[in-house]
Amino acid sequence: MTQGSVGRWITAVALVLLAGIYVRALAFTPTELMQGPAQKIFYLHVPSAWSAMLSMGLVGVASILFLVLKDERYDRFAAASAEVGTVFSLVMLTTGPLWAKPIWGTWWTWDARLTLTLMMFFLFIGYQLLRSAVSEPGLRARYAAVVGICGLVLLPFIHLSVYLFRTLHPRPIVLKPSAPSLPPVMLVTLLLSFGVFTLLYVGFVTQRYAIGRETR
Amino acid sequence: MNGGPPQNAAFMVAAYIATAVILVTYAVVLIRRKRGEGP
Repeated sequence: MTQGSVGRWITAVALVLLAGIYVRALAFTPTELMQGPAQKIFYLHVPSAWSAMLSMGLVGVASILFLVLKDERYDRFAAASAEVGTVFSLVMLTTGPLWAKPIWGTWWTWDARLTLTLMMFFLFIGYQLLRSAVSEPGLRARYAAVVGICGLVLLPFIHLSVYLFRTLHPRPIVLKPSAPSLPPVMLVTLLLSFGVFTLLYVGFVTQRYAIGRETR
Repeated sequence: MNGGPPQNAAFMVAAYIATAVILVTYAVVLIRRKRGEGP
């Protein structure tokens, strides 16, 4: 079995599991009293944000490894992870405003968390534009690695922005020092969704990496 | 005030549909690209 077909199988399984998350979230997870059905957007928005940040984190780590070890596999992995991260960022930036409109009364506000996540999306786009603009492979990999490391540096600011600045965005309810502040049934749905989005990341990146290897 | 949860299911439905469309579209793009058809 080739790497590409392994990736396709992982993606297929993850998409089936995502359908299961839809059923669990919509039919078997209670509706939150204050926010109503819109709160259920959270089961897609938070895991997609996680996958986008995982993508950017691994782009940064792979970029450092490429610059240190000069192994082009790290550059290829970073390129794959950046493309996949763009997709998850798009999910995050679509579901976020769809939650914000009924809850905050506005689609978007320029607070620190939202602005920094938009910057991450633009970094993903910029990373790919840079790669397509530089034709010499060695130079392209080095320039792209610098952008990838900038993305890695951005991640702690995104995560801590809700503590460092006064923002409208809710603070973390799972990834925080104290215990998660969610009822168990909602927490299980969220954690399962985290797992499925992570698996989807693995499936997409495995496929994209295999395509990158064939077309180098 | 009726005491029940707010009626905002349309936003939830839109978010769930948009997520499925984006993720499935990308999965299809990857398969097409593998076959040499995609962008």
